[in-house]
Amino acid sequence: MFETRSRLSRIWLTVLTAVLVVPFVIPLFTMFQGSLQGSGWANYLTVIQLSGFWLYFRNSIIISLGTIILVYILTMTASFGFSKLRIRSKETYFWLMMGALTMPEVVLLTPLVIAASKTGTAGTFWAVIIPLVALQIPFTVLLARSYVDGIPDALFEAARIDGAGTWRQFWSVLVPLAKPMAVAIIVLVLINAWNSYLLPLVLLGQSEGHMVVTQLPNSFKTQYTDDQTKILAGAVLAALPEILAYIALQRHFERGMAAGAIK
Amino acid sequence: MATSVTAAPNKPPATPRAGGASRRRHQRTPSGLRWILPGFVVSVGLIYFCIGYSGYISLLRWNWRPGRPEIIEGFDSYVRAFQSPLFWTSLRHTVVFFVAAFVIQCVMGIIFAALLHSRVYLATVFKVLIFVPVVIAPAIMAPVHRRVFAVDGPINWILQHLGLIQENALGNRDWTGWVSWLLTHLGMGNVTPNWIQPATSLWVIIGVQIWSSIGMAFILFYAAMGQIDPDLLEAARIDGAGNLRVLISIVVPSLRPTILALAILNAITALKLFDYPYLITAGGPAHSSEFLGTYIYAELFGVSRHYGYAATLSILLLILALAVSIIMSVTARERRPLPTIVQRRG
Repeated sequence: MFETRSRLSRIWLTVLTAVLVVPFVIPLFTMFQGSLQGSGWANYLTVIQLSGFWLYFRNSIIISLGTIILVYILTMTASFGFSKLRIRSKETYFWLMMGALTMPEVVLLTPLVIAASKTGTAGTFWAVIIPLVALQIPFTVLLARSYVDGIPDALFEAARIDGAGTWRQFWSVLVPLAKPMAVAIIVLVLINAWNSYLLPLVLLGQSEGHMVVTQLPNSFKTQYTDDQTKILAGAVLAALPEILAYIALQRHFERGMAAGAIK
Repeated sequence: MATSVTAAPNKPPATPRAGGASRRRHQRTPSGLRWILPGFVVSVGLIYFCIGYSGYISLLRWNWRPGRPEIIEGFDSYVRAFQSPLFWTSLRHTVVFFVAAFVIQCVMGIIFAALLHSRVYLATVFKVLIFVPVVIAPAIMAPVHRRVFAVDGPINWILQHLGLIQENALGNRDWTGWVSWLLTHLGMGNVTPNWIQPATSLWVIIGVQIWSSIGMAFILFYAAMGQIDPDLLEAARIDGAGNLRVLISIVVPSLRPTILALAILNAITALKLFDYPYLITAGGPAHSSEFLGTYIYAELFGVSRHYGYAATLSILLLILALAVSIIMSVTARERRPLPTIVQRRG
């Protein structure tokens, strides 16, 4: 965007960017540095030896995977229906769904707690996964529908002439073509599911073995009477998988956002 | 074969079916309905059930016992909410948050996007560093931010090394002479370099939330800037426009759809705000960083569990959220609430 004619101006722009990025690094640096204070790397050992340490990760993985799979299937089928199939008063359904887009999580709490305890799902993974899915779908369908709108109808027409049924058109035309969008959706859902705090806290319970990674740092608040270094070591360990996953998917995510977002 | 591929009202050519559906050929068979139904039932079903249920309990006086609601008190709780100063305080904080977060996100997002579209060294490293705060859970970062803003934390350490804070013999930190003189004359004499206090806690929350969301604005602006026709920029350059001139006169106007989308996203975020205020300050001290989310949570799981009143606040919050998104999408004169960031003009 900015023109750089000389090497010097490139260096100057890099320095300017670096200075502006400093505030982003301060908390990350503080997190890492704080986690090593006191007994150093032994802090991490203490965290790993916490009873049920792996259960935090297992629970988060189950919830994230379940949410991603359900959201992916429901989003793809729904965006196919909304975009390429005949539905009576289609836009009404779409608008009803978009009405749920603005839904604050806290509003769901009371009804969900009561519904979960009535249906006996309280404390199970379903009690967390289903509301998470319900909250993600309006946004992912919005993203995916406009992406699918951009796929020419002629492709589906051609598949139909070749004798492909609706299911075959979905599986052999839409799914492969929507891949860039799917990556962006998966990353967004992964972030939201892995980072969810309130829903697991309330619906899964706070007993041992029922907690997710976002509760890991706080578990040292009660157990070791606010041991800062362990809290920060726990935070590093809980954040690490996400940071690595993002760095691994960064290129695809950016491409998906650019493809689905503004074009 | 003339196939219409654009307009929805045009009847697509009837597909011959192997089954015996010919009887209903003249009706518009809802062939796509079962494709949208699963997603529709899960999201719309559950969420509208919750709204309906909240609406119902908001009319009850239901405290503490999870068993049976006590009395039906109708719309009294709504009157109570409107008369509660805390409700208006939370609302004011929400508005302040929205304005500050939106402006700073736009300015910084555009600056970062422009810088990283230039030929900067280490661009990928910078991109990752800017976006990583979006990725990490607020619940994970909250203890870190408490540490960052602690009296002996990094922020005060930096201010101390810039000569704005001094440490007295007892090890207490206070502003250097001229800073406290300035603050006294600005009417903020009681503000000490302790950030989690009534005068500053709201700004700590706003700062942290901005920190964690600039990355998203950046990615959206970055993608939007990639779509600007390079010939246009070239033409402006040939006409003698400098870097700043190009940015202000050509780049920023073409980002208008993204800016509108960010306004809607931020308004909804402001109304939904919960994790950071709850985990960093719990809405305090003395409700100085209370938002609607933390207020509802406090009523729900606080000392006295006002289920009915919490539901009332939830319904008010929902009405606000819907109103905001309708107003914004009408002002944007667009068909859907968030089309600008997702529209494909391919």
